[in-house]
Parts: sequence; C-alpha cells; structure tokens
Amino acid sequence: MPAVFTVDPRSGVPIYLQLIEQVKRSVALGVLAPGEQLPTVKQLAVDLTVNPNTVARAYRDLERDAVIETAPGRGSFVRADGVANQAGAAADVAAEAVTRAVREAKSLGLSSAAVRKLFDSALTRWFPEEK
Amino acid sequence: MSTISIQHLSKSYGKFLAVDDVTVEIPSGSVFGLLGPNGAGKTTTFKCLLGLARASSGEVRFDGKPLTPDLFESITYVPERSVLYEWMNGAEHLEMQRRTFKRYDTARAKQLMDRFQLDPRKRVRAMSKGMRSALAIVMSFSIHPETLVLDEPTSGLDPVNQRAVLNLIIEAAAQGATVVLSSHQIGQVERAADHIAVLKDGKVILAGAVDDLKSDRKIVEGIFPSETIAVDGLRRDARIERLDQSGRILRLTVTANGGGLAETLSTMGAQSVRIVDLNLEDIFLNAVAPGSQTADVVEAR
Repeated sequence: MPAVFTVDPRSGVPIYLQLIEQVKRSVALGVLAPGEQLPTVKQLAVDLTVNPNTVARAYRDLERDAVIETAPGRGSFVRADGVANQAGAAADVAAEAVTRAVREAKSLGLSSAAVRKLFDSALTRWFPEEK
Repeated sequence: MSTISIQHLSKSYGKFLAVDDVTVEIPSGSVFGLLGPNGAGKTTTFKCLLGLARASSGEVRFDGKPLTPDLFESITYVPERSVLYEWMNGAEHLEMQRRTFKRYDTARAKQLMDRFQLDPRKRVRAMSKGMRSALAIVMSFSIHPETLVLDEPTSGLDPVNQRAVLNLIIEAAAQGATVVLSSHQIGQVERAADHIAVLKDGKVILAGAVDDLKSDRKIVEGIFPSETIAVDGLRRDARIERLDQSGRILRLTVTANGGGLAETLSTMGAQSVRIVDLNLEDIFLNAVAPGSQTADVVEAR
C-alpha cells in the first residue's frame, strides 16, 4: 500500500474523521493517485486495530464527497475524475487548517485585526509573486 | 450475528439490586463495549444475557427471539474468571471444545495456539495468568463464533497479546460477528468498539456510538477578566452537562457539540475561549464522576 494511514484512537477527534482527513490529504497531495485502490475495510481495520464499522463509515463519507468510489466485489478506488474533487479535497483540508489556526490565535487573546495582519504577512511570504 | 436487545433487565440478589432496568440495543455486526466501575453490574448483565443467571425482570432477545440452545452453538463466552481445569493441558481443553461444538476448527485452533505461543502439552496448573487468558481466547475463537461475549478478555495479557486479541475481535467483527465486551482498559474499547454503554450502580448512565459521543461532547473553556462571571443564564442550559468555575476560568462540559456556547462565552466577555476535544476516557470519567448530570440529560432526551 502506498499510503500508510495512522490514527490516534485516544484523540478526542473521532477516528472516522481522522481517516477522512488523511485520505483527503493524500488525494490532494497526489500520494494517492486517481484510480488507485484503497485497502479493504477489513484490511485497514486490522492494520490500524480499529473497528471495521468505523472504517466503513469513513469510506462511505469519502464516497459521498466524491473522493473515492466503491465497486462491489472489487474494492474502493480514488476517483478518476479527481482533478475537481481533488481541488475540493485540498480546499477542505486547507479550510480546516485555517479554522484551527484562527481559533488558536483567538484563544491566545488576539484580536481579529491582529489575526488578519498575521494572515496577510503569511500570504505575502508564501505568494511573493502576487505582490 | 444477531442483534441483541436487552429490555428493562433487572437482577437482584436479595435486597441488592445488581442490574437496574437496563435497556440496550446491540446492533448486529457491531462491537459493543460495556464500561463501568467495579461492581457496576457488567458481569451480572453478561450472565443474564447468556441465561447463566435468571433475570428478576426484563428480557433479552437475539434477533427478536429468546435465547435457545441452538444459538449456543455459535456463541462464545469468555468469563472474567478463568473456567479452565487445573489438571488438564491445552490440548485436552481443545479436545473438550471439539466435542462440544460442531463448528470447532482444528486448523484454526492450531494457528491460534501458535499465535499466542502456547504449548498444548502444558498443564493449566503450570500456566501464568496471561497463558490462561490466552488459552481461553484460543478456545473461544476456535469455533468461529458469531456472537462473542467477552468479560475483560485481555486481562493478564502482555501488550503484544492484548493487541493480538483486539485484532481477533476486529477480524470477527469484519466478518459480521456481534461482539459484546467489557474492559477497564478504555483505550482498547476506544479502538475496537463502535458502540458503548456506561453502567453505574446497575444503571445505564450513558450510551451511544463512540464517534458520536466524541463529536458531541466537548469542553468549552473561557478565561474572563474577573472572577465575577454571570453564569446564572448558563445553569438552565440543557447543552451544559457540567459547569466548573475556578477563579477567572469557566469550564463547561457540553453536549450537542457545544452548539454556539464558545460564541456565547465570547459575548459574555471572555477574553479567551478554547474548545477541547474529549477522548473516551474523559467522557467515561465525566459520566461516572459524582455530581455529573449525565443521567438526567439522557433521561431528558
């Protein structure tokens, strides 16, 4: 298997959400290529020592989000029409990271203006060509 | 491979009510973790479930039907205390299993004996606690059970063998078996189980899907400019299960994902608001802690 997933069952984040996030990230980064086969539910459950229904739930949500597709009897695959969906997957992962960063900044007592300033300076740093 | 439905189960021993009106639905193909402090009624629930103790009231149904002897062929029970015979060796225990269960699989038993590195010629008398637990597990899984009732199945095992047992449970569940298990090792239940119930003093005080409970329950913590915080408006809020104030810090244990309570604390003047995820151990400890409102919340739903 090219992508090795890991989960932290002791985390307060539900395991199925951890799995969804990792598959989306792998698809967004091209670590999982379009058409590539994912491990079966049973295989992944045993590999990670987590409940099979939990893995199945993650796969169902990934199908719903058009990231993967399941062919009965053959297995689950990364969808080939991935470009748009991959972009969507990437946006999802990024949105979560931004939300987390803003929440943390706020919990440290920063004002929204201060957060915006930080955000602008990060944009300037990582998109210098747009200046 | 049955849906197990426990309805209004009560069991008393004399004046002591060990199980008090327990109603739980265990979906077919799920791994159900029964948690609770010592003496909460877990083992008694298991015994009533299997007909090993007669319920004082209430009933247990397997796919809507009462437990019948033919169902026993595909049920396995690993009791908390070993029921092995001191003078017999591993091979003799397996022979006993072979004669009792039509589903007994010799090759599977051999494979499991090897997996747990058990010597079939060794007498139970000479076995460590871990080896005894392992032998009980080998016996149970050698019949390809469809319903598994496991009372502290990993107790006495080293971490490698604990993991091996969890994987056997997960493999069985992946093939559609229904598993009911109790364990004090909440981290194991967190991995293996998809549903849990928490028992305290014989009552179910919390039940649900593990992932839903985690999504649902959070701590919302606000730090305020002074120790005078207007908490009165929060006291009647049904989403708040616990409210603890220590100095300028207000900590709310919330359900329903806290639904906007972080924003509420912000509006109330909190300088800093943090949302903390809870793992199963936190959720369990909160539920069994004295003064928790969990039982009321569940009933109010």
